[in-house]
Amino acid sequence: MKTKRIAHRPELIVILLALILGVALTLGSCQSNSSRGKSLTLAINSGVEGDALKQAAKDYETQTGVHINIAELPYANLFEKELIDLQSHTGAYDLIMLDDPWFPKFASLDVLSDLSPLLKKRGMDKPDDDFAATSLALCRNPYQTGALYALPYVGNSQLYFYRKDLFEKHHLNPPATWDDVLTAAKTISEQETNGAPGGGKVYGYVMRAAQGNAAVADFMPIFWAFGGEMFDAGGQPTVNSPEGIAALKFMIELGKYSPPGYPSFNSDEVGAHLLQGTAAMSINWPAWISSFSDSAKSKVIGKMEFGQLPAGKNPGRAEIGNWLIAIPRESKNADAAMDFLLWATAAEQMKLSAQRGNPPTRKSVFNDPQLVARFPSYPAQLRSLESSRPRPRTPLWNEIENAFGIYLSKANSGELPAEDAMNQANAEIKKIIERGK
Amino acid sequence: MGTEVPRSEHAHSEASSFTDRTLAYLLIAPTVTVLLALSIYPLIYSIRISFQTGSGHATFENFTRLFSDQFFLSALLHTFVYAAIALTIEFFIGLGLALLLNEKMRGRNAFRALFLLPMMLPPVVVGVVWRLMLNSNFGALNGTLKGFGVNTEALTWTASPKLAMASVIMADVWQWTPFMFLILLAGLQAIPQEPYEAALIDGSNAWRTFRHVTLPLLKPAILIALLLRTMDLLRVFDHIFILTEGGPGFATETLSLYIYRTAFRFSNFGYAAAMSFVLLLITNLISAGYIRLLEAREA
Repeated sequence: MKTKRIAHRPELIVILLALILGVALTLGSCQSNSSRGKSLTLAINSGVEGDALKQAAKDYETQTGVHINIAELPYANLFEKELIDLQSHTGAYDLIMLDDPWFPKFASLDVLSDLSPLLKKRGMDKPDDDFAATSLALCRNPYQTGALYALPYVGNSQLYFYRKDLFEKHHLNPPATWDDVLTAAKTISEQETNGAPGGGKVYGYVMRAAQGNAAVADFMPIFWAFGGEMFDAGGQPTVNSPEGIAALKFMIELGKYSPPGYPSFNSDEVGAHLLQGTAAMSINWPAWISSFSDSAKSKVIGKMEFGQLPAGKNPGRAEIGNWLIAIPRESKNADAAMDFLLWATAAEQMKLSAQRGNPPTRKSVFNDPQLVARFPSYPAQLRSLESSRPRPRTPLWNEIENAFGIYLSKANSGELPAEDAMNQANAEIKKIIERGK
Repeated sequence: MGTEVPRSEHAHSEASSFTDRTLAYLLIAPTVTVLLALSIYPLIYSIRISFQTGSGHATFENFTRLFSDQFFLSALLHTFVYAAIALTIEFFIGLGLALLLNEKMRGRNAFRALFLLPMMLPPVVVGVVWRLMLNSNFGALNGTLKGFGVNTEALTWTASPKLAMASVIMADVWQWTPFMFLILLAGLQAIPQEPYEAALIDGSNAWRTFRHVTLPLLKPAILIALLLRTMDLLRVFDHIFILTEGGPGFATETLSLYIYRTAFRFSNFGYAAAMSFVLLLITNLISAGYIRLLEAREA
């Protein structure tokens, strides 16, 4: 009786049939995907960098008929997704976008294709010299000298943002050195107590000191200018050198002229303060430049200048932060992927990408008169890029940066004195390196 | 009678019960397969990797490292502090609200519905909303305080090591007190009227009635509410990740955040698995304590 009742229930049969059909369709689509040769899968960052590549991919599809699938992931998940996929050798992606600090990790795991043979096949023995040397150096493992595993697509490097109107008003020297910066920060904070566009105080400086990437990126240019180095020649950490401690003390001193709460600031808060005209100076990234001329966002149109990083004992150098494109070792379409990669990073496409908001990695594109007219900061950006420094090239960078950032943030929030913070950071980085051996 | 019916049916036809059972197995099979693939296999796998480091050899290193890892120890401490404070506040406010809305009053249903709203929101949304409200320069909280003439210069909610923990707890209390309230209210409604009438006849005052009638009868509901909230609080992740990302420095980093970072940022799955098992063990021990208390009462 019971059996009959169940077997005769039409909805159950329908569900079972739907399940079978579903499985069959999934299997069927898998098969048809792999049998089609002219198809590439890209993993991209969802944001302005990925958007440009996505649009380029559409053009490529119309031009060549190669079908391109896009896997778009938010920045926070892109790294883990790519790493897990590449390490489990799924071959799911033919091209991946990488933020340059991730590159040593991927390269050391040996999951990327060496691009040299693919270049040779096309009659080239290395990428052309039009790429900025500092960008191309990031794509080699070891840094600068090793095999080529990627090509640089987006050429970000830090710039020094400052309010030229306030500098003129208070007869301040342009911020060429960190001492100039401190003097200006102090003067502006003291004088502009009611100078913000909506009323209220203008802070002399603003920075990101939230633990992790933010604090480290805003500290490195000061650290380098003061003569600090993260590692000595033997690879041992030296962040607690006298220079390193002096640099951190200086950062905390600048913090006195930053909006309260800066030890938890990320780029959004810094951007908001600059755009609202409530802060006068900051180390920042080119992606923010266009917002300053947008009347919907900016209260300081035409007042912001974008220059080189200030000097200390050493000349000022920016931190580089490029987006690279690599071909996973397990890709089944490495050749087709290489064709796309060369096409997308050629001058013509990079110019389009620049118009879509991404700084290029090619000198010729930076110097393109049409682009310079539209992006007046391009000459400064190229100078910054060419003199930039990378974050230390180690596969352990994520963990080191995390530990270092925690102590920088602790020092800025007043939880630890600068010496203790640097000593503890040094000890923690040492442990990370020991474990990584 | 009830047991006789299926037995007679069972004896009735052997063949039909066979197909019955086959069909039953068939219908359970997908669930069991999915469970094996998505739950049991990963569990065994994670036990295995917790005994591996980079080199892949079997080792206790991941577990011995726990005791010398300052980040782990302070994340553990933060987790306990967070859970204990949030649990206490949520319990007392939840109990108060439940007692209040258990009485007959005007607009009772509207209040009940309103109090449940925060719980319906995804924790990530709650995190974003509180992040905006707590922004020290543009946020609603400091804006309101300024309106009352309070000097808010030093009130940098998520940026001060002292206030950051209070801030994340505040958001948790806001979202999850309704959960306490809901379970305790259900518990209150399930208490019969008779003991109250007896207490009234015996001349008991309100406090004594609460202490000797309401509390003992509400105990199962209280324990269940505490048990569920404790389990949830110990693995808190979402809104802290959004509000402070564990900062400033390390001030609000809980164990779940540190485990996440270790696994997905530093790609050290073995150590992350080891920490997860420690968290699981702690959660189990505390839960076992609650369940014992529950059973002790029933026995």
